[in-house]
Amino acid sequence: MSEREPLQGRDKLALLLSLVPYLMEHGQVSVSDAAAYFGLEPEQIREAVRLIAVSGVPGETDAYQPDDLFDIDWDLFLDRDEIVLTHLVVLDDSPRFSSREAAALIAGLQYLSALPEQADRQVIGSLLSKLSIGASARPSEVAVEERTSDADLTTVRSAVAAGTQVEFDYVNARGEREHRRVDPLRIESLDDEWYLRGWCHTRAAVRTFRFDRMTGVQATERPISHHAGDVILPDALFEASDADLHVDVELAADSLPLIADYIASTERIEDDRVRATLRVAHYHRLKRLVAGLPGVITVVGPPAARAQVAEWSEEALARYEDPSPASSGDPGVS
Amino acid sequence: MPQNEATVAVEERLFSLVLALLATEQGLTKAEILSTVQGYRQRYRRDGANASLDRQFERDKDDIRELGIPLETVEAPGESGNNQLLRYRIPKGEYDLPREVTFTPEEIAMLSLAATVWRQGSLSRESQRAIMKLRSLGIEPDDSVIGYAPRIRTREPAFEPLRSALDRHQVVTFTYLRAGGSTPRPRTVEPLALVQHQGRWLLYAHDLNVDARRTFLLSRIVGKVKTTGRTFTAGEPGAAEQALSELDALWQAQVATIRTEPGSEAETRLSKRASGVTGGGRLELHFTDRELLADELASFGPEVMVVRPDDLRDAVISRHRANAAAHREPASASEGETR
Repeated sequence: MSEREPLQGRDKLALLLSLVPYLMEHGQVSVSDAAAYFGLEPEQIREAVRLIAVSGVPGETDAYQPDDLFDIDWDLFLDRDEIVLTHLVVLDDSPRFSSREAAALIAGLQYLSALPEQADRQVIGSLLSKLSIGASARPSEVAVEERTSDADLTTVRSAVAAGTQVEFDYVNARGEREHRRVDPLRIESLDDEWYLRGWCHTRAAVRTFRFDRMTGVQATERPISHHAGDVILPDALFEASDADLHVDVELAADSLPLIADYIASTERIEDDRVRATLRVAHYHRLKRLVAGLPGVITVVGPPAARAQVAEWSEEALARYEDPSPASSGDPGVS
Repeated sequence: MPQNEATVAVEERLFSLVLALLATEQGLTKAEILSTVQGYRQRYRRDGANASLDRQFERDKDDIRELGIPLETVEAPGESGNNQLLRYRIPKGEYDLPREVTFTPEEIAMLSLAATVWRQGSLSRESQRAIMKLRSLGIEPDDSVIGYAPRIRTREPAFEPLRSALDRHQVVTFTYLRAGGSTPRPRTVEPLALVQHQGRWLLYAHDLNVDARRTFLLSRIVGKVKTTGRTFTAGEPGAAEQALSELDALWQAQVATIRTEPGSEAETRLSKRASGVTGGGRLELHFTDRELLADELASFGPEVMVVRPDDLRDAVISRHRANAAAHREPASASEGETR
C-alpha cells in the first residue's frame, strides 16, 4: 500500500515477535521472500534478522552468554541472503492480538459483510469468534453495521472473477442517461458508497461508476479486452483533470474534511474561516455538493457558479409553491 | 547524557524486555530488570540515581501492553504494597496465540482485506500490526478476494480521542450541536461504543447530564473532545451491538414519502434504497436522522419533493431558502478577484 507509514518502535517490536515463529515454521527462507510475504522492504527484514541474532535473555549469569541468545546461520545470511534460525530462545509461538488490533479487524470484517462472498456469513462469523479468542483482552467496542450485498454488486463481482463484460444504463450527475459496456476490473468503496472501476468501451477509457447510478445491470458472455494489469487504475477515486472548473468557496475551518476530495488550495481568512478553491468537473456537481451542505459552504465566485447554486434551490422552492409539475397533492389511494 | 545511551535501539530494548519477562517463572523485580536487561543495563547506575531509567521502564511497559502482550505484576507474599519487591513477568500461556486458533488461506485473505478497509489513523496502524502477527503463522492467503478495494473513512476529528477514551474508560466532555438545534451545548459522557451506521460514525455513551444512554453523531461534535481525568467501570460487553440495534429500530420506525423527477439522478439513486415504490413516482425511505436526510434530499434540488412528514418537508424547504439567499446576495469581499 503506497500510503503505508514508517514503522514505529512498537511496530518493529511486533515484527520481531512475528518474524521468529515465521522463520521457525519455514526452516530456511530468502530475505526477498520474507519481505514480500510481510509486505516490507528487504532491508527492513535484514535489520530485524540482525537484531534477533544478537538478542536473548540475561540468563543465569546475567551476562547474555551465547547459549542465552538466538543465532542464525551467518554464512547463509551474509553470502546468500537466506535466513535460518540455528538457536532459539523462549519464543516459539505467535503472539496474541491486542484488544484494539482485534477490534480493528472485526470492524473491517463487519464492513465486508456487504461482499457477495459473504452471503452465507459463515466465514465472517467464524473469524469473529477466532479473533475474540485470539485477543489478549476483550476486543474494544467498535462496530460497523453489517449490510447484505445487493444484486448488482453480485452480478458485477461474478463478472470480475470470470473476466467477462457487463452492460448497464448509467445516469450521470447531469441527469443524462446512457447505455455502457464495461470491462469490470475492480470494485471499490468509500463508506456506504460502492464503485466499479473498469474499462468503458462506450468511452474507450478507464472510468469509475457508482453502483447506485446503475440500472439494468446485465452480465454478458463476452470476455474483457482490457485487464487490470494493462491499464492504470489511479489510487484516488476522484481525479483532478485539466478541464476542471475552479470555484472559490468560504467555509468554517472545521468543515474542510467534508469537501477534502475537491480542494485545490486553501487560505485562512479569519481564525476559524477558510477560503478554498475547489475543482469540480462541472457546476452540476457543485450545486449538488453545496445544496447538500446547507449553511456549511458558500460559493464566492465566479458569479455563474453562484447563480447556478441559487437556481438549484430556487427551482426546488418553486416546486413546493406551485405543485403542478410533480404534484404534491395526494393522488388518492387507488 | 551517557554516550552509550543511543547505541541500543528502542526495539532492541523492548524485544529484550519481552524475552526476559517471558523467560522468568517467578518474575523479575524492577531493580533486576534495570540492572540486567539489554538496553537498560547500559544506563543503570549502582548509586541508585535511576529516575529517568525508571520512567523509561514505565513507558516501555505501556508500549508492550499496547501490543496485547500480557505483562503482569506479582506482589511478594506478605509484602503487598512494597513496590521494590513487585515482580514483573509475561506468562507464556497467555502470550501465545491459543493452539485452537487456526486460519484457512481463504480466511487469511479475508482478514488481510479487512485490514485494508482502514487507510488512516489508529485503526489502520493497528490492523496492519494484527496482519503482521497473522503472517507469523506462515499461511499464504488465497486469491478469493482479489479485485476489491474497500475503504472506510474516519475523518471526524473526534474519532481518535473518543476511541482512545473508550479503551481507557475515560469520562470525556465535548460540545454538541443537537439535530435542528442552533446552540451547541456541553456534554459529559462515559463512552461505551463507536459504531458506523448508514455510513456515519456515532458515539454511544452514558450521558452524565441526563443519566441515560445517548447516541451522538460525530459530525455534530463541535471543537475538541477533552478528557476529564476521571474514569469509569467498564460495563458488560455488547454495547456496540446494542447501539446498532437501537439505530436499526429507529431506522425502521421512521419513514418519509418523497416524489422524484422521472428520469433524474435522484430517481435512480433513491429508488435503489427505497423500501416501497407507490403510485405516481412516490418512494418511501426509512431514515435514522431527519436532519441528515434533509441535507441529502436538499442536494437533489428540484429532483426531489418531500410529501411527508411535515417536519422533514419544512427542513428541506428551509435549507433551499437559506441556500438560495446565501447565493443571491452580492458575494462578500473579493468577488472581483475570482476567475
